[in-house]
Amino acid sequence: MVRIKHRYLLLNILYPDQKTANVRIAGRPGEQDVPYSVQFRQPSSDQLTPQILLRIIRDGVATLFGDYGSGKVSSSLQIKYFSPATSTAIIRISRDHYRLVWAALSFVTRLPKPLDQPCVIQVVRVSGTIKKAEEEAIRRARISIRRAQRAGKGKDVVVAAASGVQAVEGADEDDDFGMMDGIEDHDAPGEAEEDSDEAG
Amino acid sequence: MAPDRPPQLPSKGQQANTKKRKDAPTSSHKGSDASNKRPKTDHRAKQRDARQLSAQTSSKAFKNGELDVDKFVRAREFEMRALEEGMARSKKALTKRAFQQVPKELRRRTASHNVKKVPKRLRERGKREMNEDNTPTVTARRRKPTPHMRLRLETVKKLRALGSKRKAEKEKAKSEKVTVTDPKATAKPIPSGPKQPPTATSIKTRVPRVKKATLARPPVPKAKFRKRQIHKSWLPTHLFHAKRARMTPPSAPLWRFSIPVTPTVKSYRPTHRASHERGAVAWDMSYMSTIGLEGRQDSIIGMLRALGVGEEELRAKRSEKWRQGTRVLETFMYEREAPHQPIAPVIVVWCVAAGDEKKSVELEKRKRKVLLRIHPSAFYQFWEEVLRLAKVAKPEVSVEDLRFEIGSIEITGPGATEALLGALWPTPSSAKEAERGASAGDAQTSKGASTVDPAADKVVIKTWSSLAGLTNPAMLPQNCMIGFDIQDPRLHHPPRTITLPKSDAEQMTLLQSIADWPVDAAQGPPELFDRRARLAASRALPSQKAINRRKGLAPPGQYPELSEKDPRIPTMLYTTAGAPSLTDRKRQAQNASWTVLLPWKCMQPVWYSLMYYPLSTGQQPRFGGLDEKRQLAFEAGQPWFPADFPGTRAGWEWEVSERVKREEEWKRRPKGKRVCWEKVELGGGRVGEVGVGWACDWERLVGGMAKEDSGTGDVEAAAAADGAGEEKMEIWMAEASAGEGAVLAQRPPTGNGNAIAKAANVASEEQAKTSVPRPTAGEDAAPPRKQATGPEITSSTNIAAPGKPPALTQLPATLANAMLESAGTVLPPHIDLSSALLTVRLTLITRGVPQTCARIYRLPSATHNAGLRKQWLALLPSNQPQHKQKGPKNALPRLPKDAPAHLLQRRLAQSLVEPPRAGEDDYPACPGEEDLVGFVTSGNFKLGEGQGTGLGSLLLERVAEGARQYGEKEGRVCIVRNAGNGVGRLARWDVV
Repeated sequence: MVRIKHRYLLLNILYPDQKTANVRIAGRPGEQDVPYSVQFRQPSSDQLTPQILLRIIRDGVATLFGDYGSGKVSSSLQIKYFSPATSTAIIRISRDHYRLVWAALSFVTRLPKPLDQPCVIQVVRVSGTIKKAEEEAIRRARISIRRAQRAGKGKDVVVAAASGVQAVEGADEDDDFGMMDGIEDHDAPGEAEEDSDEAG
Repeated sequence: MAPDRPPQLPSKGQQANTKKRKDAPTSSHKGSDASNKRPKTDHRAKQRDARQLSAQTSSKAFKNGELDVDKFVRAREFEMRALEEGMARSKKALTKRAFQQVPKELRRRTASHNVKKVPKRLRERGKREMNEDNTPTVTARRRKPTPHMRLRLETVKKLRALGSKRKAEKEKAKSEKVTVTDPKATAKPIPSGPKQPPTATSIKTRVPRVKKATLARPPVPKAKFRKRQIHKSWLPTHLFHAKRARMTPPSAPLWRFSIPVTPTVKSYRPTHRASHERGAVAWDMSYMSTIGLEGRQDSIIGMLRALGVGEEELRAKRSEKWRQGTRVLETFMYEREAPHQPIAPVIVVWCVAAGDEKKSVELEKRKRKVLLRIHPSAFYQFWEEVLRLAKVAKPEVSVEDLRFEIGSIEITGPGATEALLGALWPTPSSAKEAERGASAGDAQTSKGASTVDPAADKVVIKTWSSLAGLTNPAMLPQNCMIGFDIQDPRLHHPPRTITLPKSDAEQMTLLQSIADWPVDAAQGPPELFDRRARLAASRALPSQKAINRRKGLAPPGQYPELSEKDPRIPTMLYTTAGAPSLTDRKRQAQNASWTVLLPWKCMQPVWYSLMYYPLSTGQQPRFGGLDEKRQLAFEAGQPWFPADFPGTRAGWEWEVSERVKREEEWKRRPKGKRVCWEKVELGGGRVGEVGVGWACDWERLVGGMAKEDSGTGDVEAAAAADGAGEEKMEIWMAEASAGEGAVLAQRPPTGNGNAIAKAANVASEEQAKTSVPRPTAGEDAAPPRKQATGPEITSSTNIAAPGKPPALTQLPATLANAMLESAGTVLPPHIDLSSALLTVRLTLITRGVPQTCARIYRLPSATHNAGLRKQWLALLPSNQPQHKQKGPKNALPRLPKDAPAHLLQRRLAQSLVEPPRAGEDDYPACPGEEDLVGFVTSGNFKLGEGQGTGLGSLLLERVAEGARQYGEKEGRVCIVRNAGNGVGRLARWDVV
């Protein structure tokens, strides 16, 4: 029996425009109290629901790839997880068409009408199983917690550190991820072929 | 479930409390029906719920819409928790039922979903799951019988009624008789041995004399099982094995027994682990045949000498203990007549001479008993020899067939001793003493039994129980024997883990007792040699009901008290380390095992106790079948009788039957997927397999090469000739069934392997049908059967295994070694050098795994084919430039991907000097048929060493010269090529 194969895209939503931000930066206005790494990853609005996210993707695919694209994508597209508080989502899509979805995500610059915010959607991980996507999300959450703490330490911010966070401290100290890295697809068929070519 | 039940409750209450009319039957029924039908659980919904990940909204995470570090961190933590929890939840919700989670060895075939069959820790869950999806559970008791079954049950019922009626009549008749004789005698109509005190009034019954020198008949099975044992007999533990192992097919019993072949659970690796690292493996070896000899020591020794037991065993000081009876000897035995054909390895156990006899009678003239244990495939041949020898022995030696009287269990592995200690409880000598006192009246009737010295017996028992903590029986004196009586194991069932020594002092006492081994001095004659003791124990076994009653009466957590009437089961244990090997003693020490000899009827309770003993290292002893026996012999590098001894008759018969099996297997495959023997490329331009592809073609090796010089197409020719040769075959078979031994001794006129194999099969079946006495249930006429046994057995000996080259023989390792070392050694005149085989162990030097039937070649001769020889020798690792390598065996280590250029260049240079690999053009071709020296009889990948090894036989004539000329290093190198494969592999052989 042939198994239906999927890809899981882990993505972050960034809000570059400070004016339309969903939260106020704590502290006196003008004074940079909150570290930049915290400001960089802003929460989404509560109005951004998985349904809206789905609509964004569908519309994007339809504009970019027309009926062909939307037809290919629609059957398997599913939002597995979306957390507005951290602006993280996991999307499932069939293995053959995940590039269409990725392209559509990359071209999103603005959330649609009720929200109407400029945004950037960053795909940070493509994996063959949801577990690996979840693990990656956890890893990233850990790293950003650590950064926030490190930055906040000088300003005597009391941080309630969870036990899990302590344990990983220093485990991947130099695991620095910028805007571009961290996007890797170990399971993509094209790459696998290339690998085997090299080995041969 | 809770919401479903309430509707029923009120109606129940009504029934109990009031006498009001119940609800209208229709409506209540309807209601109960509706509630009985459980709502179908939606597995999809359940799964979806389990996979749902929880997420936090921004407004909750960031109250008042403020962003600060604390809130940021908390939001991330929430996410991490949610994801982790989600992962755990979805893993748990995998659609796995409780019964799918039991360990492999606990999975059962029938009704494994039944909660009663899952282990306790999973039972609750299993119950819930069964409730949830409405799995029907049926107990056998309440099952509605099928129409066929119902008929059978009715017949059984009728027969039972008839039987009980008849029994009642018999009882009645008997009770009328009682008035005439003494009540004591009637209470036990069958005299139960010598222990019964003779009273004046009772009629003294004559103890029936055992007919010696006749073949034993299998015990008459229960009526229920009788029909299934017409052509074979069951082992005493058949019911245990039949449930858990693949048995020999009913139509083709092995050696007239139904023998477990291999357990149904996967067991190749577990067996290896249990026997080498942790645990124990046990076999019911009751199919091994036992022969008892009784007579004067010197005449028994004369018999053994005639059977080929070496002089050093019979006379030397070294084997004094064996002759005394405290050691066992495993030795190959030979026919007495001129070609001295090897028969089989035999274990010889002397009975310790009784204390008083030691002093009174002169050493050589005292009467002794000996047990001979031999593999059933060679039993008839050996029995004939022994009978013939016993007839001419003077003073006379009586021979007794003890086949269905003595059973045995073999157990090996680190936990073996522990399991035996837990299962075998020696009868304390005080109880014995009491017994003795009671039976003192008729001392003369039980003369053999009452000679045991209680103090000495105590020493033996104490030594036995001090062995706790021993992991390898090879630490004991080699081949030591210990004999004592045990209690009924069912009294202590289920067995409990024994206490093992923990402190150093305790370990020291264990070592001390092993070093001293006080058993040698204290061992009395084991009761097992005494027929009456065996019978008494078998008869005195109480019923399971009685045992249960006693266990019920015992205080909780304690075993029932020992009573006077308990049977004392005579037991004998000895350790063996397989066939004696001269080359290396280390290997031998590895695989020592215990063998327990027991009366046939007492085997089952002991077996169950052994199988359920909880080992201190966890789990229970495993059981093995024939395949496991063979596997462990192979892993120890020891030949297994009969398969690895094609020079014996039993070994030849085995080979012939295996040939047929392999041929069938080959034929079953479609043409495109089986090896096409005539197209196998052997290298050097030769095409076509040497001899018959599915056989170890000894006929061809020993004598047939000139006749079938073409070598290539003869298999296909055989297949083609199958039809044409049919007539000839039929004639030949007719002759075979007519029993003309002379015709059978030579090869049939068709002369091709296929036909031979087929004919052999037919003939052997014929032989099986005619030669062996058949214990049929209904047959009560003893004289005709007696007639039948005698001549037919002899005819079976006349029919030499079909096709076997008459002079083919197997050399003992000592003789073979001597021949290989010096040219001056002269073979005994009766051995034909051109057809003498020696058993060898093969170790593959480079790569490859030999399979059964693989062909073994010597290195090509230096004079005729020096080039090829040089090529092969270049493959030897010792002839190659040394480089430290970590990569795959016999290949260069793998370079990292980003290796610098100079490394790549060096690799290139190395690969040019690297010896050629199989499949490359310059890999040396296999030598020709003139260099064929033998065949692999069992080959496989050895788990212990991580490489292919094998056991095979070589033709001495072809290897002796090379071995002498080139010495250890090159002289014992050979080339092994699997049948149907063109690639040869280098191997080294050692005589075993």
